[in-house]
Amino acid sequence: MKTWPRVATRARGGAVPRRVTYATSPLLASRTPPWRSRFAVAIVGCAFALLVGRAIYIQIVGTDFYLKQGEMRYTARWDVPAGRGRILDRHGALLAGSVLAPSVWVSPKAFSADRAAKREFAKLLGLGNAELDKRLAENPNFVWLAKQVDENVAARIYALQLAGVHLERQYRRRYPEGEAAAHIVGFTNDDQLGQEGIELAFQNDLQGYIGTRSVVRDRFGRVIEDAADSVTPIDGRDVELAIDSKVQFFAYQRVRDAVAEHKAKAGSVVVIDVKTGEVLALANYPSFNPAVRLNMSGDQLRNRALTDTFEPGSTMKPFIAAWAIESGRVTPASVIPTAPGRITIGGSTISDAHPHGDLTVAEVIQKSSNVGTVKMAMQMSPREMWDLYTQVGLGQKPQLQFPGAVSGRLRPPKTWRPIEQATMSYGYGLSVSLLQLARAYTVFARDGELIPVTMTKSPTPVAGLPVLSSATARAVREMLQAAAADGGTAPKAQAMGYTVGGKTGTALKQEGKGYADKKFRAWFVGLAPVKDPRIVVAVMVDEPGNGKYYGGDVAAPVFSQIVQQTLRMLGVTPDLDVRPQIVAKDGAVDESF
Amino acid sequence: MTKLNVVLTLALVVGALLLVKTSHDARRLFTALDRAQGEERALEAERQRLDAERQAAATNLRVERLARERLTMRVATPAITRYVNDEASGVAP
Repeated sequence: MKTWPRVATRARGGAVPRRVTYATSPLLASRTPPWRSRFAVAIVGCAFALLVGRAIYIQIVGTDFYLKQGEMRYTARWDVPAGRGRILDRHGALLAGSVLAPSVWVSPKAFSADRAAKREFAKLLGLGNAELDKRLAENPNFVWLAKQVDENVAARIYALQLAGVHLERQYRRRYPEGEAAAHIVGFTNDDQLGQEGIELAFQNDLQGYIGTRSVVRDRFGRVIEDAADSVTPIDGRDVELAIDSKVQFFAYQRVRDAVAEHKAKAGSVVVIDVKTGEVLALANYPSFNPAVRLNMSGDQLRNRALTDTFEPGSTMKPFIAAWAIESGRVTPASVIPTAPGRITIGGSTISDAHPHGDLTVAEVIQKSSNVGTVKMAMQMSPREMWDLYTQVGLGQKPQLQFPGAVSGRLRPPKTWRPIEQATMSYGYGLSVSLLQLARAYTVFARDGELIPVTMTKSPTPVAGLPVLSSATARAVREMLQAAAADGGTAPKAQAMGYTVGGKTGTALKQEGKGYADKKFRAWFVGLAPVKDPRIVVAVMVDEPGNGKYYGGDVAAPVFSQIVQQTLRMLGVTPDLDVRPQIVAKDGAVDESF
Repeated sequence: MTKLNVVLTLALVVGALLLVKTSHDARRLFTALDRAQGEERALEAERQRLDAERQAAATNLRVERLARERLTMRVATPAITRYVNDEASGVAP
């Protein structure tokens, strides 16, 4: 204010018109020193340089970090589980399949629900209200509330739309055949990893490959675009088994009934198709429900047909007879004196249950004479016998894609004392599993060839390893037929409509170092039809305790029923005449048309 | 020159609008696809569940029981089966 009057005064004093020229402010009148503008330019320039530097840093130096930060803000990424493959039987019937069974987890910090919704939620989970509160207090961030709930329960939980409650996509295995096929199919754990049986053996095939999905989300969290690096999950492969679920079920039922009827401890059945080497059925009792695996005992879980070994007893005799014939030592009609039903070797005496007189080789098998068998076996060298037993697969693990198959026990021939060679000829001093025994009998069924067995479907005829000549195999088949005929040890093995041949076995169970008192094991292994065998069936019943304990009484009837049903289901024409019981009205009145 | 500029400006505006529309369409279609895929997964899961249920309803145990109890059927034996050869089919044995 003070300066203006002074300017005005000066203007008044001079010749300039009486006007105020604001532009002549003295501040402006002074010339701007050049350093000032340079300074300003420099400041602005620096600021620009700073921005450029920052831009370069963000775009070039720190680009990875920023890209990642950006991505984190708009992309999402999660695993996509692959579906586990199914297990099917030979006709495509489902033995094991996965169904969606989501798991429920909750973030208690974010959880909110009104009273009614919370009560409903607790009820769906099968929890009490207080229990739910307790569970929610376990961890503020993450609590599993229920694993693998039913799909409809999951849908109702989802419909409640509770904050903080999440469903995770998970699968659960279903086993429609339940107990009947439990030992073959096996089961998985909660993480869908195979634990037993085929589920374990084919874990890699069944499992598949999990995928990932990454997407771009908008600010509402909606998926708007697929990011480039998604990986599609590859579902697991289905596994087709050789098992025929009908045969399997029937076999399981029969062995279960037999165990109940004879008050036995356990039982097993193996059915092998001798044309293809496929295992049509493999059943054990006691069994378990693979879907409910609580409180399962080892007794239930054990796949006895593969893991339990026992001394094969009389079922070895046909092999000795076969080799004696094959090596030209005897013919089926050669007579072997077995009187007086006893033979002493190295100070030990071997005897027959019933003394017989002179028996032909065929009769030795039919009557199951220990003495006759020993007399044939003692003409062989231990090495020869060992070779024979090894060639039919004893003492070796069966080449089977299945966990837990055992090799049994067959000692090297050098260690055999004469008495041991003698006892081994009628099946003591070595051990086999039921599956090994059934497979060994394919030698007779296949005209002298031992075939590999398989659990997976392979319907093409399989080539075997020749062990015996076909003439010998046929001769032994006839002996086996005689053993299962009236006058043999197992007439109850006969099946309606089909010729059968087979051999019984009965033995005291081994316990510790010796034999148990009055604990038996009874089994039967045989083939049918005799002329052109289609199946080999082996049945074993453990500790029958109802008075009867001979293989011919306990196991042979099971064999008979299974043979009859299986051959009928396979469509094999009966080779025995059956008195038909078809009631047909002959001479029916012609229908008018 | 002005004319060309006007034409180019128009072309630019139209192109820009088309771009907006196309990307909108792309998102819309993607959402539809995504939903359809979700539906496919749900249906697949449903199919598997139904498959398993069907099998559970048709287990050998159940079929046999129903056949025996409700339909009073019995297991066929060779004695009550008439076998017909392929060559002889159509001709009563």
